[in-house]
Amino acid sequence: MSFEPRLPRDDVNVSRTHPLVEAGWLILGAAVAGLLLALLAFAATELVSRWLPADLEARWFGGLFESFVGDETSEEPARAEAARALLARLGAHWPENPYTFHLGVLDDSALNAFALPGGTIVVTRGLLEAAESENELAFVLGHELGHFAARDHLRAIGRGLILSLVMRSMVGAGAGDAVPALSAELASRGFARDQERDADAFALGLVAAEYGHVAGADDFFGRLPDADAGLGARAAAWFATHPVSESRIAALHDLARRRGYPTDGPVAVLSQ
Amino acid sequence: MILSNTETVPGRTIREFYGVVSGSTVRAKHIGRDIMAGLKNIVGGELKGYTELLKEARQEAVDRMIQQAQSVGANAVVNVRFSTSNITQGAAELFAYGTAVRVE
Amino acid sequence: MDPWLVVLLQVAPFVLLLLGTYGIGSALERRHFRLLRARELRSRNLPVATLREPLPGWQVEDCALVTGSCVISLDYFKRFVAGLRLLVGGRIASYETLLDRARREAILRMKESAHAAGYRAVIGVRLETSQIAQATRQGGTAGVEVLAWGTALRLRRS
Repeated sequence: MSFEPRLPRDDVNVSRTHPLVEAGWLILGAAVAGLLLALLAFAATELVSRWLPADLEARWFGGLFESFVGDETSEEPARAEAARALLARLGAHWPENPYTFHLGVLDDSALNAFALPGGTIVVTRGLLEAAESENELAFVLGHELGHFAARDHLRAIGRGLILSLVMRSMVGAGAGDAVPALSAELASRGFARDQERDADAFALGLVAAEYGHVAGADDFFGRLPDADAGLGARAAAWFATHPVSESRIAALHDLARRRGYPTDGPVAVLSQ
Repeated sequence: MILSNTETVPGRTIREFYGVVSGSTVRAKHIGRDIMAGLKNIVGGELKGYTELLKEARQEAVDRMIQQAQSVGANAVVNVRFSTSNITQGAAELFAYGTAVRVE
Repeated sequence: MDPWLVVLLQVAPFVLLLLGTYGIGSALERRHFRLLRARELRSRNLPVATLREPLPGWQVEDCALVTGSCVISLDYFKRFVAGLRLLVGGRIASYETLLDRARREAILRMKESAHAAGYRAVIGVRLETSQIAQATRQGGTAGVEVLAWGTALRLRRS
């Protein structure tokens, strides 16, 4: 036996595909798979949110938010009572209303209002104090009622859960940081803007039914404190749940005109 | 190509030897197999999916080792050894190495 | 500002990082492969075998255990591609080049340390691979170690 010095081929244990090409295909495949999964999940949540009956929803979720609604003798602004009465009157204009609504006041100086599953509407103290007419407040409350009518809150929870699950599994596999989180943001915000428009339309209908006209309903948006002009607002518009105020007002005027709501009339003053 | 994990090829004599040749491959499992394995984890038993996967990968590693041996003009690889290592979560390296020789 | 511009601004740094690390990583890799080939050519006259016995006809004066090891780390691009691979399965090409480099380097180091100490052959070679470092919380691998060891022989010239 003797030794013959010979070197073996050194390209056997390495792949011949170009790394960028391989990466490109993998990214494409992952993106397509993620998209399909997300669409499937959205369709599923759509079905569920339509099918879930309201009394079942109230029973499941109602108890969760009692901390918002509970103690009515606690320090609440004087308008809270008026707001509750207003809510009841508005609800009466929605004939198929399956919910029993509760109003909760959040002790926060920011202006915000949101709908929670089970029939709870939460407004902030700041919002109650900033409202200058009853019509405005009626519009805001009506907007939240619109979300309930479209079962938006259920959809939001379902989509949020599924999106975060999908994104977590992809990021967990090392697929990068910026991209998945961003696309999730975009997807959920995009849908939300359509929902907001529908809720606005619903609110307009309720206000018209309650007062006979829609004057004063959109005064609120003209006074919202955030910068309405400039780059900052427009960029933020994509990532905020509510459309930019100008376009929102324009859309409302347009809708009022199309539905034939009178835009003039006495604006009720909100009791102190 | 004759493969053997003994010192010599039984019944033959080694004329020349060329050095160490090796073949390796790194394989990842995919999500589908992972889910099935997770379910199997509850009841126990053979993970057929993984067995198949690793068998294929090991065969590929051996094929690569044979390719290297052919490139030096050997007709047998003796003292073949295998090694499986966990490279990262979900991926393993299958590795085969031996000495390339010419037997008669 | 066009919303798509905002998206682009968020995605661009990530893409630049990927391409940058790919460029640097593959340049370093090519250089290493060239050096490996050169060293292998230079050291090809030192016999290396997994055989357990010295060749008949060799007269062994002395022997010693020699080792060679190497830890090579992954660049960001390779880790990213490997992460995507873990979703669909298949061969991870980026790790294969890594392990090839580490293995050849480890064997070369073993040969070179044997040669430097005056030994003229290495038998009984064994190789071992292990994952060394963890890159991220999710457990991606940062480094792989290959260890080669064997018995080096000092031969009496006959």
